[in-house]
Amino acid sequence: MGLDSPETQQRLEKFRGAPMDGQSLKRLVEAGLTWLRTNQQMVNALNVFPVPDGDTGTNMVLTMQSAYNEINDLGHRDVGEMTAAISQGALMGARGNSGVILSQLWRGFSRGLQGQEVLDGPGLVRAFAEARDTAYKGVVRPVEGTILTVAKDIAAATEAGLSSVQDPIELLALAVKAAEASVERTPDLLPVLKQAGVVDAGGMGLFFILEGMLRHIYGEPLDTPLASVQPLSAMNLESAMEEVEEGQDYEVVVDFYPQGTLDLKTFYGKLESMGTSIQVGEGEGMYRMHIHVPLENRYQPIDYIMGLGTITKVAMENLIAQMDEIDQKAKGDYFELANVEPGQIAVVTVSPGAGLSRIFASLGVAAIVEGGQTMNPSTQEILAAFENLPTDKMIILPNNKNILMAANQAKEVTVKKVSVIPSRTIPQGLAAMLAFNPDDELEPVAEKMNKSLGLVQSGEITIATRSVEIDGVMVEKGQVIALLDGKLVLSAKTVEKAVLGLLKKAEAADHELITLFFGEDLSNADANQIADKVRKAYPGQEIEVQDGGQPHYQFILSVE
Amino acid sequence: MGEETTSLGSISISPNVVATIAYQATLESYGVVGLAPRNLAEGLAQTIINEPARGVAVDYDGENVDIEIHIIVEYGTRITSVAASVANTIRYHVEKALGLRINTINVHIAGLRVSSTD
Repeated sequence: MGLDSPETQQRLEKFRGAPMDGQSLKRLVEAGLTWLRTNQQMVNALNVFPVPDGDTGTNMVLTMQSAYNEINDLGHRDVGEMTAAISQGALMGARGNSGVILSQLWRGFSRGLQGQEVLDGPGLVRAFAEARDTAYKGVVRPVEGTILTVAKDIAAATEAGLSSVQDPIELLALAVKAAEASVERTPDLLPVLKQAGVVDAGGMGLFFILEGMLRHIYGEPLDTPLASVQPLSAMNLESAMEEVEEGQDYEVVVDFYPQGTLDLKTFYGKLESMGTSIQVGEGEGMYRMHIHVPLENRYQPIDYIMGLGTITKVAMENLIAQMDEIDQKAKGDYFELANVEPGQIAVVTVSPGAGLSRIFASLGVAAIVEGGQTMNPSTQEILAAFENLPTDKMIILPNNKNILMAANQAKEVTVKKVSVIPSRTIPQGLAAMLAFNPDDELEPVAEKMNKSLGLVQSGEITIATRSVEIDGVMVEKGQVIALLDGKLVLSAKTVEKAVLGLLKKAEAADHELITLFFGEDLSNADANQIADKVRKAYPGQEIEVQDGGQPHYQFILSVE
Repeated sequence: MGEETTSLGSISISPNVVATIAYQATLESYGVVGLAPRNLAEGLAQTIINEPARGVAVDYDGENVDIEIHIIVEYGTRITSVAASVANTIRYHVEKALGLRINTINVHIAGLRVSSTD
């Protein structure tokens, strides 16, 4: 879509017509995060300095995610308050070197907008300048050719532009242009980048965040990476399956050897006219192209590539036919597990549902074994999950008392150094993950995780499968029962009553945070209805609702 | 002091070398705004001689290196992340320059600096 297209112009009019308030800024931050995430692998691949561990993109995404989580459900606020919240969220979630710098940039940015209701040109310029100043204050000897330089160039370009441009959107466009040029220059400033033949990863990440904001304003897609070639091994064709939409009926994958050099810009441009979800990978001279196209276009990419070189393989799949199947699987079965480097600690956890797996993955779990109540995984399954990880320091979170034994056996059998954290419930496992640090030594980490088990109370809501009396509680088959830390505490006629009764037993009023993970038997709407009742009953507590996707248990609750 | 023998003679590396590399790497680490003397005596000595590696202690038995470092961190940064990346950066630079295996790096946060904001 060109900048001059009527659609883009219309969008621009809309953005210019309304003052840029906190809510608009929130959407820009979301767009920046989305675009950064789309290009995350590319940023990771750039990482050489100062530690070549390939996770700058991931660290920046996690930091931005934390920033966005902080504002996600904030209602109407002015930009000053909104950026203060963003800054707070970024600080709390700052991961790695680039994440810390990013959080400082946000801190300065928010300082520049303090007390401001809407974002105007001079405010934005002040914010960029403060971001630069704050970021530079955090280091004795700033290394140029990094994200710091990019922040500096953005501030300089927008400051210079302010004399002729007042519109914040045009200034943002200036910032994006300056960031791009600055990133391109980083190898000239930092020899180690030149040696490796890359640009600075952190600077690139910052560019993507700003560009994502601008792309959102222009109405450009945020889910297709920029014209870039990734290593074949980094292509993630599975995840692309999740994004199937109307008009993307066929997935076409073509392997080919181009004649001469491939002009990526033209290549992408042509492909974009045919379909979406474009990915291009390269390995030893062979290219792999992946695209989603509508039915009538399904042969176009093949014909086009035929003219560019020699095709070695074509794969085509009808995505619509697979859609139902995908729908059946919990929405978003896909999640990204933590990447483990040799020497780091990897966590293997047992999770009963897709949603919970995703939450565990977001907390840094490296491998997940499916299982839980009534579906205990074997020692073998647990072993298989971690034997291939490239580290010898492992932590296992069984999250169920019946799986503890299998986990301990896995520890006996393997040559790796394993610590089993005896988590008996999902909330305990999650609490333990919050204390996890992959870069520390095994014993202190395990000790910290062990300690955090006691910080949370776990509740479970399920249906009684038979009539019984335990611990003085009478239960009839089919009734809803509630367990607190594994002990049966009450039975009730409805899930809602069971949840409220359980929270009372857990003395939730004396705690701060109640998290409800709803299971596969409950719909989103049902879960939210109950959550609303909980909110009413506990106005002083923070209530979170998450799609856990676990079977058998209508709810798993955590009170902390 | 570590020694390595080549066909021409021996190469020895003083713990001071390790300390200097660690010191320089730390100064380039984001979030660190200074290093702190480990104790009063070192603080006093510092004013007399200009030691290139204050706030760093290196224990090197010829095979393994243990490093203790005392840093001052910018207020308002996530301190655990800063400390973790200091340790990473030191490890990377020492291992790259000297090829030595680092056993432990202990990072002590000796203080915070609050920058004037306006």
